[in-house]
Amino acid sequence: MTTVLRRLRSELFPTRGDGLLSIALLSLLALAGVGFLRWAFFQAQWLVIRANATLFAVGRYPAEQQWRLWLLVGLLAAATGLSWGVLRSHPRRDRTGRLWPRNDRVAVAVLVLAGLWGPWALGLPLHLQARWWGLLALLLLIRWLAGRHGRRLGPRGLRLVALIWPVLYLSGMVLISGGLGLVAVPPSEWGGLLLTLVEASFAILLCFPLGVLLALGRRSDLPLLRWGSVVYIEFIRGAPLITLLFLGQNILGFLLPGGLAPDRVWRAAWVLTFFAAAYLAEAVRAGLAAVPRGQFEAARSLGLSYPQALGKVVLPQAMRVALPAMVGQFISLLQDTTLLSLIGLMELLGTARTVMANPAFLGKNAEVYLTLAVLFWCCCAALGLGSRALERRLDPQTIPSAS
Amino acid sequence: MSQPSAETMIEARAVEKWYPNGFQALRGADLTVRRGEVVVIMGPSGSGKSTFIRTFNALEDFQKGSITVDGIALSNDLRNIDAIRREVGMVFQQFNLFPHLSVLENLTLAPVLVRRRPKADVERQARALLERVGIAEQADKFPGQLSGGQQQRVAIARALCMEPRILLFDEPTSALDPEMVREVLEVMQALANDDITMVVVTHEVKFARQVAHRVVLMSEGVVVEEAEPEVFFTNPSHQRTRKFLDQIL
Ligand SMILES: Nc1ncnc2c1ncn2[C@@H]1O[C@H](COP(=O)(O)OP(=O)(O)OP(=O)(O)O)[C@@H](O)[C@H]1O
Ligand SMILES: [Mg+2]
Repeated sequence: MTTVLRRLRSELFPTRGDGLLSIALLSLLALAGVGFLRWAFFQAQWLVIRANATLFAVGRYPAEQQWRLWLLVGLLAAATGLSWGVLRSHPRRDRTGRLWPRNDRVAVAVLVLAGLWGPWALGLPLHLQARWWGLLALLLLIRWLAGRHGRRLGPRGLRLVALIWPVLYLSGMVLISGGLGLVAVPPSEWGGLLLTLVEASFAILLCFPLGVLLALGRRSDLPLLRWGSVVYIEFIRGAPLITLLFLGQNILGFLLPGGLAPDRVWRAAWVLTFFAAAYLAEAVRAGLAAVPRGQFEAARSLGLSYPQALGKVVLPQAMRVALPAMVGQFISLLQDTTLLSLIGLMELLGTARTVMANPAFLGKNAEVYLTLAVLFWCCCAALGLGSRALERRLDPQTIPSAS
Repeated sequence: MSQPSAETMIEARAVEKWYPNGFQALRGADLTVRRGEVVVIMGPSGSGKSTFIRTFNALEDFQKGSITVDGIALSNDLRNIDAIRREVGMVFQQFNLFPHLSVLENLTLAPVLVRRRPKADVERQARALLERVGIAEQADKFPGQLSGGQQQRVAIARALCMEPRILLFDEPTSALDPEMVREVLEVMQALANDDITMVVVTHEVKFARQVAHRVVLMSEGVVVEEAEPEVFFTNPSHQRTRKFLDQIL
């Protein structure tokens, strides 16, 4: 305790002048904080959020089909718990693996607090609150079990666990949109956080391979490929996303024959994908440029084919360099989905705008925007945390050789 | 020293190469290497030594002349190139180990991927090779954790793991501190006693004298002199060679 105090003192009050400045800043902060808390607890009327919680979560998704989304969330919780626990039970070599490192204990605390408080604060009916608590318990239980027994999985089992995610994504899409015996729920009925996440995840997943291909194309020896990639990348990067979105709504309908033309939601998702791919390509290109040419030559001289040399030697190294920039792209992509409200999609911001336009909730903009900001912040924080964990795992814990 | 057989392993005839910027790096280079032979290539900087041996495994293309490696003609046919690369290993000045893979994985990657051999087999062989180059205990480290000399020995073991019939060395000791040069040369000398064919670009005179069957001098994109080591270093027939030797001896 005293060390903390001493450190605070040496950082805040090293000299008299600095001390005065610190006091001034601290009091400003305190003032702002108190003002904010007063507003949040006494003035703000959170009814606008409570009354529209479902709308913010899933839009106009039909109530009698919402069990499918609950099921999806349940599967997500289970898969998260499983991967998390298995990851911890297989520490990277040369690293002492603790089953519950401090970060994990903090994460559990945050999860428990948010999981208990959130549904209550939203004023959900008791059976829905209980459902969230059940999901939380499921996640933690599987995390605990997987952490305890994950060791027994061989490399085969590990690969299977990793395979859960693409399978889950595809089945999630089926659960959301219907098909395979489920009643179809057209995209026009999706909304809120659900639509935001569908659009963002679709674009993130597809822009990745596309961006890698574009980056490779830009470095290719074939002039046609190289110039094609350059023109594409520079064209996309030169246009504001919103114009592309409007363009996409109008053009994609003409370009593709009638039945194939995707509806508005998917059209927007494709535009987002093509847009993000151009930026991603530049991040990947920087990563590729950071891999010395000798790596490719060494791989080729060992007899690896071009795709093998790329996939096993060059790209893994390039990705490690490009990862931070790529995640930055993903985060701005997530935030760019708010532009979809301008072309009339009911994602989070679009939903928010209809709610605020409702005469019953007039003048409640601050509450709504704050909630939106927090939601986006949570999603971006999750992306950031995940990427940092990935970065640490990809690090061969060495300075790369000086070659 | 084992004696080379009469069988030809590499035959390069009047090879000419232009780099994309128009610079002609090879101006009719000739070389014949027999099976089991150790040939050392010397020559001033920029004379085209690297370019020449890199054409042997198609890391560089060439425009005129012909190259035949182990009976396979190097042409633009991609299948031939793949076949040749499997037979020819290469060791680089900068080691070029894969930093994201452990030492063992550096060795096993290609045999498993290219030769489709069972992983357990290859691992056993890889450990034996690491033993042979004297770094068995480093198998699970990453390249960045090794000294330069150790890295270069891993690179040699990595090339050997593909069981090539020919090994090309491009200045394998030039990037090493003097005290590490010896450990790498010793490994190379031990290799030379097997029947593997070696083409070595190096300025290590002692190595050339003790190990090479033949030493050649390149200058301005052609092979100027070709002789047994004793003759090459004591009584070369070309003025160019004498000038070069004056500079390095
Ligand atoms: N990619 C390239 N593009 C253009 N010119 C090149 C390229 N690579 C090499 N050269 C030129 O070709 C000539 C031969 O180069 P090379 O690397 O084969 O020489 P070297 O004999 O190996 O020299 P060193 O002893 O310095 O390694 C040099 O003049 C060099 O400048
Ligand atoms: Mg060279």
